[in-house]
Amino acid sequence: MTDKATAGIWHWLLGAWMLLVIYGAFFYAPTAQGFVGESARIVFFHVPQAWVSVLAFCVNLWASLRYLARRDPLDDARAAAAARLGLLFCTLATVTGSLFAKVMWGEFWNWDPRQISIVILLLVYAAYFALREAIADEERRGGLAAAYATLAFVTMPFLVFVVPRIYFSLHPDTLINVRGSIDMEPRMLRVLLASLVGFTGIFVWLYTLEVKLARVLIARQRRGES
Amino acid sequence: MSVSTLATEALAVFAKEVRSELRSRVAINAIGLFGLTTLVAVAYQIGPYQIHEQDRPHLLAALLWIIVFFAALSGLQRVFVKEEDAHTAKTLRLAARPLAVWGGKLLFNVVLLAALEALLVPLYSVLMGMHVVGVAPLVVLLAAGCLAMASTATIVAAIIARASGSGTLFAILAVPLMLPLLVMLIAGTRMAMTSPRWGDLLPALQGVGALAGVTVVASVYLFPVIWHD
Repeated sequence: MTDKATAGIWHWLLGAWMLLVIYGAFFYAPTAQGFVGESARIVFFHVPQAWVSVLAFCVNLWASLRYLARRDPLDDARAAAAARLGLLFCTLATVTGSLFAKVMWGEFWNWDPRQISIVILLLVYAAYFALREAIADEERRGGLAAAYATLAFVTMPFLVFVVPRIYFSLHPDTLINVRGSIDMEPRMLRVLLASLVGFTGIFVWLYTLEVKLARVLIARQRRGES
Repeated sequence: MSVSTLATEALAVFAKEVRSELRSRVAINAIGLFGLTTLVAVAYQIGPYQIHEQDRPHLLAALLWIIVFFAALSGLQRVFVKEEDAHTAKTLRLAARPLAVWGGKLLFNVVLLAALEALLVPLYSVLMGMHVVGVAPLVVLLAAGCLAMASTATIVAAIIARASGSGTLFAILAVPLMLPLLVMLIAGTRMAMTSPRWGDLLPALQGVGALAGVTVVASVYLFPVIWHD
Protein backbone atom coordinates (compact mmCIF):
# COMPACT_ATOMS: atom_id res chain seq x y z
CA MET A 1 0.00 0.00 0.00
CA THR A 2 1.36 3.44 -0.92
CA ASP A 3 1.99 6.19 1.63
CA LYS A 4 -0.78 8.24 0.03
CA ALA A 5 -3.31 5.43 0.45
CA THR A 6 -2.28 4.85 4.10
CA ALA A 7 -2.58 8.58 4.80
CA GLY A 8 -6.06 8.56 3.18
CA ILE A 9 -7.19 5.73 5.48
CA TRP A 10 -5.89 7.57 8.54
CA HIS A 11 -7.75 10.74 7.54
CA TRP A 12 -11.04 8.83 7.14
CA LEU A 13 -10.47 7.13 10.49
CA LEU A 14 -9.78 10.50 12.11
CA GLY A 15 -12.99 11.93 10.60
CA ALA A 16 -15.02 8.96 11.86
CA TRP A 17 -13.38 9.22 15.30
CA MET A 18 -14.28 12.91 15.57
CA LEU A 19 -17.89 12.17 14.55
CA LEU A 20 -18.03 9.62 17.40
CA VAL A 21 -16.55 12.21 19.79
CA ILE A 22 -19.21 14.78 18.77
CA TYR A 23 -21.96 12.16 19.18
CA GLY A 24 -20.53 11.09 22.55
CA ALA A 25 -20.21 14.69 23.78
CA PHE A 26 -23.91 15.43 23.16
CA PHE A 27 -25.69 12.06 23.58
CA TYR A 28 -23.49 9.57 25.47
CA ALA A 29 -21.99 11.69 28.26
CA PRO A 30 -24.48 12.56 31.03
CA THR A 31 -25.31 16.12 32.10
CA ALA A 32 -22.70 17.32 34.61
CA GLN A 33 -23.83 18.35 38.08
CA GLY A 34 -23.14 21.87 39.40
CA PHE A 35 -23.09 23.59 36.01
CA VAL A 36 -25.68 25.80 34.30
CA GLY A 37 -27.76 23.71 31.87
CA GLU A 38 -25.66 21.74 29.40
CA SER A 39 -22.74 24.21 29.52
CA ALA A 40 -20.28 21.60 30.85
CA ARG A 41 -20.40 19.74 27.51
CA ILE A 42 -18.04 22.38 26.11
CA VAL A 43 -15.31 20.70 28.20
CA PHE A 44 -15.08 17.96 25.52
CA PHE A 45 -13.83 20.56 23.04
CA HIS A 46 -12.29 23.28 25.22
CA VAL A 47 -9.89 21.05 27.19
CA PRO A 48 -8.51 19.24 24.08
CA GLN A 49 -8.00 22.61 22.34
CA ALA A 50 -6.05 23.92 25.35
CA TRP A 51 -4.09 20.64 25.46
CA VAL A 52 -3.18 20.90 21.76
CA SER A 53 -2.05 24.52 22.18
CA VAL A 54 0.36 23.38 24.93
CA LEU A 55 1.41 20.34 22.85
CA ALA A 56 2.15 22.69 19.93
CA PHE A 57 4.28 24.81 22.24
CA CYS A 58 6.25 21.65 23.21
CA VAL A 59 6.72 20.68 19.53
CA ASN A 60 7.80 24.25 18.83
CA LEU A 61 10.46 23.92 21.56
CA TRP A 62 11.65 20.53 20.26
CA ALA A 63 12.01 21.85 16.69
CA SER A 64 13.66 25.07 17.95
CA LEU A 65 16.28 23.15 19.94
CA ARG A 66 16.91 20.90 16.91
CA TYR A 67 17.37 24.00 14.76
CA LEU A 68 19.87 25.48 17.24
CA ALA A 69 21.82 22.19 17.20
CA ARG A 70 21.70 21.37 13.44
CA ARG A 71 20.77 24.61 11.61
CA ASP A 72 18.48 22.70 9.24
CA PRO A 73 15.89 25.10 7.68
CA LEU A 74 13.31 22.31 7.88
CA ASP A 75 13.52 22.39 11.69
CA ASP A 76 12.84 26.13 11.61
CA ALA A 77 9.82 25.43 9.36
CA ARG A 78 8.70 22.72 11.83
CA ALA A 79 8.94 25.20 14.72
CA ALA A 80 6.98 27.86 12.82
CA ALA A 81 4.31 25.30 11.78
CA ALA A 82 3.84 24.16 15.40
CA ALA A 83 3.57 27.79 16.56
CA ARG A 84 1.00 28.60 13.85
CA LEU A 85 -1.17 25.66 14.89
CA GLY A 86 -0.60 26.52 18.56
CA LEU A 87 -1.87 30.04 17.89
CA LEU A 88 -4.97 28.62 16.14
CA PHE A 89 -5.84 26.16 18.93
CA CYS A 90 -5.02 28.73 21.62
CA THR A 91 -7.51 31.14 19.99
CA LEU A 92 -10.15 28.37 19.83
CA ALA A 93 -9.55 27.50 23.51
CA THR A 94 -9.93 31.20 24.44
CA VAL A 95 -13.21 31.51 22.48
CA THR A 96 -14.74 28.30 23.89
CA GLY A 97 -13.59 29.25 27.41
CA SER A 98 -15.26 32.66 27.02
CA LEU A 99 -18.53 31.07 25.86
CA PHE A 100 -18.49 28.82 28.93
CA ALA A 101 -17.72 31.83 31.18
CA LYS A 102 -20.70 33.76 29.72
CA VAL A 103 -23.10 30.90 30.47
CA MET A 104 -21.65 30.09 33.93
CA TRP A 105 -20.73 33.48 35.35
CA GLY A 106 -22.63 35.95 33.14
CA GLU A 107 -19.64 37.59 31.44
CA PHE A 108 -17.43 36.53 28.54
CA TRP A 109 -14.36 37.71 30.41
CA ASN A 110 -13.82 37.57 34.19
CA TRP A 111 -10.04 38.14 34.47
CA ASP A 112 -9.70 34.70 35.95
CA PRO A 113 -6.04 33.56 36.33
CA ARG A 114 -6.58 30.76 33.79
CA GLN A 115 -8.12 33.16 31.28
CA ILE A 116 -5.14 35.48 31.79
CA SER A 117 -2.67 32.62 31.36
CA ILE A 118 -4.16 31.55 28.01
CA VAL A 119 -4.13 35.16 26.78
CA ILE A 120 -0.45 35.44 27.73
CA LEU A 121 0.18 32.22 25.79
CA LEU A 122 -1.55 33.89 22.80
CA LEU A 123 0.66 36.96 23.24
CA VAL A 124 3.78 34.75 23.35
CA TYR A 125 2.81 33.09 20.05
CA ALA A 126 1.99 36.50 18.52
CA ALA A 127 5.35 37.90 19.71
CA TYR A 128 7.13 34.87 18.19
CA PHE A 129 5.63 35.71 14.78
CA ALA A 130 6.32 39.44 15.22
CA LEU A 131 9.98 38.53 15.76
CA ARG A 132 10.05 36.30 12.68
CA GLU A 133 8.49 39.06 10.55
CA ALA A 134 11.11 41.58 11.72
CA ILE A 135 14.12 39.59 10.44
CA ALA A 136 14.83 39.28 6.71
CA ASP A 137 17.86 36.97 6.88
CA GLU A 138 16.56 33.37 7.06
CA GLU A 139 19.35 31.85 9.15
CA ARG A 140 19.34 34.68 11.67
CA ARG A 141 15.54 34.55 11.81
CA GLY A 142 15.64 30.83 12.58
CA GLY A 143 18.27 31.19 15.32
CA LEU A 144 16.69 34.17 17.10
CA ALA A 145 13.15 32.78 16.83
CA ALA A 146 14.40 29.46 18.26
CA ALA A 147 16.11 31.30 21.14
CA TYR A 148 12.92 33.28 21.89
CA ALA A 149 10.79 30.13 21.71
CA THR A 150 13.09 28.41 24.23
CA LEU A 151 12.98 31.41 26.54
CA ALA A 152 9.18 31.58 26.27
CA PHE A 153 8.91 27.88 27.04
CA VAL A 154 10.69 28.17 30.38
CA THR A 155 8.18 30.83 31.54
CA MET A 156 5.17 28.73 30.50
CA PRO A 157 5.05 26.50 33.63
CA PHE A 158 4.70 29.68 35.71
CA LEU A 159 1.67 30.70 33.66
CA VAL A 160 0.04 27.30 33.72
CA PHE A 161 0.90 26.07 37.22
CA VAL A 162 2.11 28.90 39.50
CA VAL A 163 -0.05 31.97 38.75
CA PRO A 164 -3.43 30.13 38.95
CA ARG A 165 -2.41 28.82 42.39
CA ILE A 166 -1.44 32.25 43.78
CA TYR A 167 -4.76 33.83 42.78
CA PHE A 168 -8.27 32.60 43.51
CA SER A 169 -9.70 31.02 40.36
CA LEU A 170 -13.31 30.58 39.24
CA HIS A 171 -12.11 27.93 36.79
CA PRO A 172 -13.35 24.39 37.55
CA ASP A 173 -10.73 21.85 38.71
CA THR A 174 -8.31 20.82 36.00
CA LEU A 175 -8.67 17.26 34.68
CA ILE A 176 -6.12 15.99 37.20
CA ASN A 177 -6.82 18.13 40.29
CA VAL A 178 -4.46 19.34 43.03
CA ARG A 179 -5.10 16.12 44.99
CA GLY A 180 -3.66 14.19 42.04
CA SER A 181 -6.95 12.40 41.31
CA ILE A 182 -9.47 12.55 38.44
CA ASP A 183 -12.96 13.46 39.70
CA MET A 184 -15.10 12.84 36.62
CA GLU A 185 -18.04 10.60 35.77
CA PRO A 186 -16.62 7.56 33.85
CA ARG A 187 -18.67 8.16 30.65
CA MET A 188 -17.66 11.83 30.57
CA LEU A 189 -14.04 10.83 31.12
CA ARG A 190 -14.20 8.34 28.21
CA VAL A 191 -15.55 11.01 25.84
CA LEU A 192 -13.00 13.55 27.04
CA LEU A 193 -10.08 11.14 26.55
CA ALA A 194 -11.43 10.19 23.09
CA SER A 195 -11.65 13.89 22.22
CA LEU A 196 -8.08 14.46 23.44
CA VAL A 197 -6.92 11.68 21.10
CA GLY A 198 -9.01 13.12 18.22
CA PHE A 199 -7.74 16.68 18.61
CA THR A 200 -4.17 15.40 18.91
CA GLY A 201 -4.79 13.53 15.63
CA ILE A 202 -6.04 16.73 13.97
CA PHE A 203 -2.93 18.54 15.17
CA VAL A 204 -0.63 15.78 13.85
CA TRP A 205 -2.45 15.82 10.47
CA LEU A 206 -2.27 19.62 10.05
CA TYR A 207 1.32 19.70 11.28
CA THR A 208 2.36 16.98 8.82
CA LEU A 209 0.72 18.92 5.96
CA GLU A 210 2.57 22.11 6.96
CA VAL A 211 5.91 20.28 7.17
CA LYS A 212 5.36 18.60 3.78
CA LEU A 213 4.64 22.00 2.23
CA ALA A 214 7.75 23.49 3.88
CA ARG A 215 9.87 20.60 2.59
CA VAL A 216 8.68 21.29 -0.99
CA LEU A 217 9.33 25.03 -0.64
CA ILE A 218 12.84 24.46 0.76
CA ALA A 219 13.67 21.97 -2.02
CA ARG A 220 12.43 24.42 -4.67
CA GLN A 221 14.45 27.24 -3.09
CA ARG A 222 17.59 25.05 -3.09
CA ARG A 223 17.04 24.13 -6.75
CA GLY A 224 16.71 27.84 -7.55
CA GLU A 225 19.95 28.62 -5.75
CA SER A 226 21.97 25.83 -7.42
CA MET B 1 37.74 28.41 31.16
CA SER B 2 38.39 29.67 34.68
CA VAL B 3 35.45 31.11 36.59
CA SER B 4 37.53 33.92 38.09
CA THR B 5 38.73 35.03 34.62
CA LEU B 6 35.17 35.00 33.38
CA ALA B 7 34.06 37.07 36.40
CA THR B 8 36.91 39.53 35.77
CA GLU B 9 35.87 39.88 32.13
CA ALA B 10 32.22 40.34 33.15
CA LEU B 11 33.21 43.03 35.65
CA ALA B 12 35.26 44.76 32.94
CA VAL B 13 32.20 44.76 30.66
CA PHE B 14 30.11 46.10 33.56
CA ALA B 15 32.67 48.87 34.22
CA LYS B 16 32.61 49.77 30.51
CA GLU B 17 28.80 49.95 30.64
CA VAL B 18 28.89 52.23 33.69
CA ARG B 19 31.49 54.54 32.13
CA SER B 20 29.60 54.68 28.84
CA GLU B 21 26.30 55.34 30.64
CA LEU B 22 27.81 58.08 32.80
CA ARG B 23 29.00 59.79 29.60
CA SER B 24 25.68 59.65 27.74
CA ARG B 25 23.16 59.11 30.63
CA VAL B 26 20.56 57.94 28.11
CA ALA B 27 19.31 54.89 30.06
CA ILE B 28 19.46 56.67 33.44
CA ASN B 29 17.49 59.63 32.08
CA ALA B 30 14.97 57.40 30.27
CA ILE B 31 14.29 55.13 33.25
CA GLY B 32 14.47 57.80 35.94
CA LEU B 33 12.39 60.44 34.17
CA PHE B 34 9.82 57.95 32.90
CA GLY B 35 9.42 56.57 36.42
CA LEU B 36 9.18 59.98 38.08
CA THR B 37 6.83 61.46 35.47
CA THR B 38 4.46 58.51 35.71
CA LEU B 39 4.60 58.59 39.49
CA VAL B 40 3.75 62.32 39.56
CA ALA B 41 0.88 61.81 37.10
CA VAL B 42 -0.53 58.90 39.12
CA ALA B 43 -0.07 60.68 42.47
CA TYR B 44 -1.67 63.89 41.12
CA GLN B 45 -4.69 62.15 39.60
CA ILE B 46 -5.27 59.44 42.20
CA GLY B 47 -3.19 60.35 45.27
CA PRO B 48 -3.59 58.73 48.69
CA TYR B 49 -7.19 59.90 49.29
CA GLN B 50 -8.99 58.80 46.12
CA ILE B 51 -8.81 55.08 46.91
CA HIS B 52 -11.15 53.33 49.37
CA GLU B 53 -9.39 51.69 52.30
CA GLN B 54 -10.36 48.14 51.25
CA ASP B 55 -9.05 48.71 47.69
CA ARG B 56 -5.70 50.18 48.74
CA PRO B 57 -3.54 46.99 48.80
CA HIS B 58 -4.83 45.86 45.37
CA LEU B 59 -4.62 49.19 43.59
CA LEU B 60 -1.41 50.51 45.15
CA ALA B 61 0.49 47.26 44.50
CA ALA B 62 -0.69 47.15 40.88
CA LEU B 63 0.09 50.84 40.22
CA LEU B 64 3.57 50.55 41.77
CA TRP B 65 4.57 47.65 39.51
CA ILE B 66 3.04 49.23 36.42
CA ILE B 67 5.22 52.30 36.99
CA VAL B 68 8.38 50.22 37.65
CA PHE B 69 7.67 47.88 34.74
CA PHE B 70 7.15 50.53 32.06
CA ALA B 71 10.04 52.64 33.36
CA ALA B 72 12.24 49.53 33.10
CA LEU B 73 11.02 48.81 29.56
CA SER B 74 12.06 52.29 28.49
CA GLY B 75 15.72 51.86 29.43
CA LEU B 76 16.82 48.24 29.89
CA GLN B 77 16.80 47.44 26.16
CA ARG B 78 19.66 49.85 25.46
CA VAL B 79 22.47 47.59 26.67
CA PHE B 80 22.71 45.72 23.38
CA VAL B 81 20.96 48.10 20.97
CA LYS B 82 23.59 50.77 21.61
CA GLU B 83 26.39 48.35 20.65
CA GLU B 84 24.71 47.69 17.28
CA ASP B 85 23.96 51.41 16.76
CA ALA B 86 27.55 52.45 17.52
CA HIS B 87 28.96 49.47 15.51
CA THR B 88 30.93 48.35 18.58
CA ALA B 89 29.31 44.89 18.83
CA LYS B 90 31.99 43.24 16.64
CA THR B 91 34.80 44.66 18.79
CA LEU B 92 33.05 43.49 21.92
CA ARG B 93 32.73 39.99 20.41
CA LEU B 94 36.50 39.92 19.95
CA ALA B 95 37.30 41.46 23.33
CA ALA B 96 35.22 39.30 25.64
CA ARG B 97 33.65 35.86 25.80
CA PRO B 98 29.86 35.70 25.30
CA LEU B 99 29.11 34.77 28.90
CA ALA B 100 31.24 37.65 30.18
CA VAL B 101 29.37 40.09 27.90
CA TRP B 102 26.03 38.74 29.09
CA GLY B 103 27.14 38.78 32.74
CA GLY B 104 28.39 42.38 32.54
CA LYS B 105 25.27 43.62 30.76
CA LEU B 106 22.98 41.74 33.18
CA LEU B 107 24.81 43.20 36.17
CA PHE B 108 24.43 46.69 34.70
CA ASN B 109 20.69 46.21 34.18
CA VAL B 110 20.30 44.80 37.71
CA VAL B 111 22.08 47.83 39.20
CA LEU B 112 20.03 50.23 37.05
CA LEU B 113 16.74 48.60 38.06
CA ALA B 114 17.76 48.36 41.74
CA ALA B 115 18.56 52.10 41.69
CA LEU B 116 15.16 52.80 40.13
CA GLU B 117 13.40 50.71 42.79
CA ALA B 118 15.45 52.37 45.58
CA LEU B 119 14.33 55.79 44.32
CA LEU B 120 10.78 55.00 43.28
CA VAL B 121 9.44 52.71 46.01
CA PRO B 122 10.04 55.04 49.02
CA LEU B 123 8.82 58.03 47.00
CA TYR B 124 5.73 56.11 45.91
CA SER B 125 5.06 55.05 49.53
CA VAL B 126 5.15 58.68 50.67
CA LEU B 127 3.18 60.21 47.78
CA MET B 128 0.54 57.47 47.56
CA GLY B 129 0.30 56.65 51.28
CA MET B 130 1.38 53.04 50.84
CA HIS B 131 1.85 51.49 54.30
CA VAL B 132 3.94 48.34 54.23
CA VAL B 133 3.73 46.04 57.27
CA GLY B 134 6.09 43.38 55.95
CA VAL B 135 9.10 45.56 55.07
CA ALA B 136 11.75 42.80 55.11
CA PRO B 137 9.73 40.39 52.90
CA LEU B 138 8.98 43.27 50.50
CA VAL B 139 12.70 44.12 50.23
CA VAL B 140 13.49 40.49 49.36
CA LEU B 141 10.61 40.47 46.83
CA LEU B 142 11.92 43.70 45.26
CA ALA B 143 15.42 42.18 44.98
CA ALA B 144 14.12 38.94 43.42
CA GLY B 145 11.84 40.93 41.10
CA CYS B 146 14.76 43.14 40.09
CA LEU B 147 16.87 40.10 39.12
CA ALA B 148 13.99 38.40 37.28
CA MET B 149 12.99 41.53 35.36
CA ALA B 150 16.59 42.48 34.50
CA SER B 151 17.49 38.95 33.33
CA THR B 152 14.43 38.74 31.05
CA ALA B 153 15.03 42.25 29.72
CA THR B 154 18.73 41.55 29.07
CA ILE B 155 18.20 38.41 26.99
CA VAL B 156 15.27 39.96 25.06
CA ALA B 157 17.42 43.07 24.46
CA ALA B 158 20.11 40.80 22.97
CA ILE B 159 17.52 39.23 20.65
CA ILE B 160 16.06 42.51 19.39
CA ALA B 161 19.51 44.05 18.92
CA ARG B 162 20.32 41.19 16.52
CA ALA B 163 16.86 41.38 14.91
CA SER B 164 16.07 44.98 14.12
CA GLY B 165 17.04 47.06 17.13
CA SER B 166 13.51 48.35 17.39
CA GLY B 167 12.18 49.49 20.76
CA THR B 168 8.66 48.51 19.73
CA LEU B 169 9.80 44.94 19.14
CA PHE B 170 11.38 44.91 22.60
CA ALA B 171 8.03 45.68 24.22
CA ILE B 172 6.23 43.11 22.04
CA LEU B 173 8.70 40.36 22.98
CA ALA B 174 9.29 41.29 26.62
CA VAL B 175 5.73 41.99 27.82
CA PRO B 176 4.34 38.42 27.42
CA LEU B 177 7.43 36.98 29.13
CA MET B 178 7.23 39.45 32.01
CA LEU B 179 3.47 39.34 32.64
CA PRO B 180 3.57 36.22 34.88
CA LEU B 181 6.38 37.89 36.83
CA LEU B 182 4.34 41.08 37.14
CA VAL B 183 1.30 39.16 38.38
CA MET B 184 3.39 37.43 41.07
CA LEU B 185 5.10 40.67 42.10
CA ILE B 186 1.77 42.48 42.46
CA ALA B 187 0.37 39.59 44.54
CA GLY B 188 3.48 39.62 46.78
CA THR B 189 3.46 43.40 47.27
CA ARG B 190 -0.24 43.29 48.18
CA MET B 191 0.53 40.66 50.82
CA ALA B 192 3.41 42.80 52.19
CA MET B 193 0.87 45.62 52.73
CA THR B 194 -1.53 43.42 54.68
CA SER B 195 0.62 40.89 56.53
CA PRO B 196 4.07 41.02 58.19
CA ARG B 197 4.46 37.22 58.03
CA TRP B 198 7.00 35.70 55.63
CA GLY B 199 4.71 32.71 55.09
CA ASP B 200 2.03 34.83 53.42
CA LEU B 201 4.53 36.16 50.87
CA LEU B 202 6.20 32.82 50.31
CA PRO B 203 4.20 31.63 47.23
CA ALA B 204 4.94 34.88 45.39
CA LEU B 205 8.59 34.90 46.55
CA GLN B 206 9.08 31.30 45.44
CA GLY B 207 7.47 32.02 42.07
CA VAL B 208 9.55 35.16 41.42
CA GLY B 209 12.77 33.51 42.63
CA ALA B 210 12.19 30.42 40.49
CA LEU B 211 11.36 32.54 37.44
CA ALA B 212 14.56 34.55 37.96
CA GLY B 213 16.52 31.29 38.27
CA VAL B 214 15.16 29.64 35.13
CA THR B 215 15.58 32.83 33.09
CA VAL B 216 19.22 33.15 34.17
CA VAL B 217 19.94 29.47 33.41
CA ALA B 218 18.17 29.63 30.02
CA SER B 219 20.08 32.84 29.20
CA VAL B 220 23.43 31.20 29.97
CA TYR B 221 22.70 28.60 27.29
CA LEU B 222 20.97 30.86 24.78
CA PHE B 223 23.10 33.98 24.88
CA PRO B 224 26.16 32.54 23.04
CA VAL B 225 23.81 31.44 20.20
CA ILE B 226 22.16 34.86 19.98
CA TRP B 227 25.43 36.76 20.27
CA HIS B 228 27.16 34.88 17.45
CA ASP B 229 24.12 34.41 15.20
